[in-house]
Amino acid sequence: MTRSRILSVYLATLIGTLAWLGAIVLAPYLRSRGIPLARFLYFCFSSVCHQIPGRSFSAFGYPMAVCARCLGIYSGFLAGMGLYPLLRGFSKIQLPKMKIFLAVSLPIVADTAGNLLGLWATTNVLRLATGCLWGSILPFYFLTGLAELASRGKKRIE
Amino acid sequence: MPALVGGAVAGILSGIPLLNCLCCLWIIGGAILASYLAVKDSPVSLKASDGAVVGAFTGIFAAFIRLFLSIPFRAVEFALFRKIMERLSEYVPETPSEWKDIFSLGAGPISMAGLLLGLVLSAAIFAVLGALGGIIGMALFGKKTAPPGQGTKNETSQDAGHRQS
Repeated sequence: MTRSRILSVYLATLIGTLAWLGAIVLAPYLRSRGIPLARFLYFCFSSVCHQIPGRSFSAFGYPMAVCARCLGIYSGFLAGMGLYPLLRGFSKIQLPKMKIFLAVSLPIVADTAGNLLGLWATTNVLRLATGCLWGSILPFYFLTGLAELASRGKKRIE
Repeated sequence: MPALVGGAVAGILSGIPLLNCLCCLWIIGGAILASYLAVKDSPVSLKASDGAVVGAFTGIFAAFIRLFLSIPFRAVEFALFRKIMERLSEYVPETPSEWKDIFSLGAGPISMAGLLLGLVLSAAIFAVLGALGGIIGMALFGKKTAPPGQGTKNETSQDAGHRQS
């Protein structure tokens, strides 16, 4: 797998992640200015998030386009994208160890299960934190799969 | 077939009010399930890229199923949101009035154009989330252990797929 292919997958994913996170913050800003595009942005994110205001952080006087946990996952994803070049570089791709995945998944699973079962109710800050921790490992999977897929596609064309 | 099953599970669970509070996690979970089923049915080891493909299809199927479910559940969901809002205002007297506007965003009758736009957007977003879930699923279940003395059929491949660090 060439370095340039991994790098292009990385850059495309980074741009997509920044655009995604930008749109989450842009939605309440546009809504506060009365710009109709806000409606479209909230609609886009409604397919992936319940958007309950009480479970979301606010910006510009309006709830963000996704809930605190989702915001944590996407922010964590961006943080993971930042860590990726430092931990992996672009010369090879490797999946993370399963025990690391299980360790970072445990807090979000426990917190979500506890909330769903009515055992406890966590604050939005904790939801953000557990989401962020889990999200930070996701790019290491996503980039591996996509880079491998891009490599397969290239081989087929050749 | 694994993508259909995973997509059905993810689509149903993400479309039911209350259960949909797990947001995108259902799609990722459905794709992990699809990967598991694909690995079970496959005689050879599958790689991360196979998981991405299975997961992407799972996400697309989930978008279709969620759309069909959302039509009857739409009214229920808004009634539920309104109730949550009322409860919230009991405990937090200073709930910003602007929050209530958010509920009006999706209220009202659904147009055909709105449905199609929703489907296309959901399918695109779910495909990406599904691909992520599929890759995680392959990392968790993709490696087949061969009987002693025999390697797995893909063991010689040095493509990232299954080396974990």
